Amino acid sequence: MYQAMTGMGLAHASPSNGPINLQGSPKDSSVLVLGAGIAGMTAAYELRNAGYHVQVLEYNDRPGGRNWTLRGGDTYTELGGATQQCQFEKGLYINPGPWRLPYHHQGILSYAKRLGVQLEPFVQVNYNAYLHNTRAFGGKPQRYREVRADYHGHVAELLAKACRQKGLDAEITHEDQEKLLASLRNWGALDQDYRYVRGAAASDRRGYDKSRGGGKTARPTFSTPVGLSDTLNAELWRSVAHGDALDMQTTLFQPVGGMGRIGEAFGAALGPLIRYNAKVMEIRQDSSGVTVNYEDVKSPGTVIQARADWCVCTIPLSILAQIPMNVGAPMAAAIRAVPYASAVKVGLQFKRRFWEEDDHIYGGISYTDLPILNISYPNSGFNSSGKGVLLGAYIWGMNAMEFTSMTPEERVRKTVEYGSQIHPQYPAEFENGIAVAWHRSPFTMGCFSLWTAETRAKHYDNLCEIDGRIALAGDHVSYFHGWQEGAVTSALDAIGRVHELAVSRGTT
Amino acid sequence: MMSRACSKAAAQMVAILIATDVLAAHADAPAVNSAATLSSDSGAEIYQQICQGCHMAQAQGAKGAAAYPKLANNVSLTAWQYVAITVLNGRSAMPAFGTPSGQVSSGPRLALLSDTQIAAVINFVRTHFGNRYRDVVTAAQIASLPHPSLDPEL
Repeated sequence: MYQAMTGMGLAHASPSNGPINLQGSPKDSSVLVLGAGIAGMTAAYELRNAGYHVQVLEYNDRPGGRNWTLRGGDTYTELGGATQQCQFEKGLYINPGPWRLPYHHQGILSYAKRLGVQLEPFVQVNYNAYLHNTRAFGGKPQRYREVRADYHGHVAELLAKACRQKGLDAEITHEDQEKLLASLRNWGALDQDYRYVRGAAASDRRGYDKSRGGGKTARPTFSTPVGLSDTLNAELWRSVAHGDALDMQTTLFQPVGGMGRIGEAFGAALGPLIRYNAKVMEIRQDSSGVTVNYEDVKSPGTVIQARADWCVCTIPLSILAQIPMNVGAPMAAAIRAVPYASAVKVGLQFKRRFWEEDDHIYGGISYTDLPILNISYPNSGFNSSGKGVLLGAYIWGMNAMEFTSMTPEERVRKTVEYGSQIHPQYPAEFENGIAVAWHRSPFTMGCFSLWTAETRAKHYDNLCEIDGRIALAGDHVSYFHGWQEGAVTSALDAIGRVHELAVSRGTT
Repeated sequence: MMSRACSKAAAQMVAILIATDVLAAHADAPAVNSAATLSSDSGAEIYQQICQGCHMAQAQGAKGAAAYPKLANNVSLTAWQYVAITVLNGRSAMPAFGTPSGQVSSGPRLALLSDTQIAAVINFVRTHFGNRYRDVVTAAQIASLPHPSLDPEL
């Protein structure tokens, strides 16, 4: 089967292959699902459809978890108590969590389809967006198109030179060298003499100094490539392949109106099965089922009990590690072994879409070595007048921790300040912003699970193994950590195994 | 034969291709190294720039679906080794800050601290926020504890 899939070029696709088939569920069998994020709602949706009695407990007052969109009028209170009111215009938003759906994430895509969530393209690579290194080109941002053309052009020229100077004779036949040379000319935009130089071929890739036109001013002026040494030392080549990683390859999608549309649609489909504002306090299993004590967040101190035959727990490990739960030592150790990544996103509203009007950047992402790390332009509402919201920062690592330590207002202010180095229009056009630091998120206390090769080897299987009547799911129980596809595929895998156990044991 | 200049450039190119491959990372690898890495050896600055993100400005901690422990007036800080191992290797929501053995500098996306920085921030926390521990931790003591052995998958 795997060979057949490889033959069709499908082996890289995620293992979700259409709706799961859970036939013959035992009569009156029940499952308690903890967490109404993508994993929990995938599990609940399928188990309910298969005839199980399902109840979902969710800490937030909304479905989705990290599948979440902040729109004008929304309020968000982070740990530490700072509350932000999103002041975006109607129709404008940011996705603080996941924001793109690669074409081969067939699990999450299939649920978007079944739930009637409309998709539109997400632009990952924009040839006219910027690559920016504060220590190169006097801090002036460069167009991706130019950096890419120059990098490929110089590499192609060098390889062609090595080939023509017989430096590759030991490696490949002369016949193949002829083909290699032709391919290098094509790939690197080389001229007739295999040089990457100012001229028609290079300008067709990197653009013109003066664009082509019509009538009397039609004649274009070729642009001059940046030299090899400058191209290498500017280090912008680090970003050239950003759209080549499997999860970043065209085509990618986003739900129309924000990623949160998927969680909202799941929530609507499950309706009263989800109990919101439910903070899980304790998870206890015995020989016949699982009992969960939870507190109504709206009336602290009230402990309510839920019980079912089985439990699918999708609570992030950052939270679950603090919840008393009687599972065996291997799963308990695995839960405690995986720390969570730090990440910060900042959305900024501007009076006009100057990145389109002035800079001709329609969607996609600019990358920078500034702490904001990148600027992502909206992939909808192209070419329209009026206000616009862009993602002014998507920050990782050390910088994310620094931004997390600031107040939300400081995060927004710093994001505007840094972004002004790339788009000088920022100060004049900026209106308002909202900042989400994931380690301040009350419902996850971190962004996503950080595995190492060592923790994978030691703990991953133990995290996946069903412990008595408790199965774990979520992106942390997958090799798609940080992706919704991990939530879906881990949920389907877990409920498939829970179902098998339930069938084999009947209702008791 | 390939000319010397040409083979040198080719070697440089190969080095770059390898480096790019190593850096090819998950999600949003900001492919350019960040200019802002924390270079301070001041415990107070390290606390304010990193730790207070979760443990809060007065080290009072925070409560949500679970909790960040308060570090103020905290008897768990009595044994500096416990604090050091937590900072070095992470604990649940908290990422590991220790630099993996053999790694010289932080990667672009990792928040790694040197043994000197870890000692400084531990000494700061253990002598502030109502904590009055008199023993001073040294970088050499931090170095003697287990460090993370591998970088996380990104």
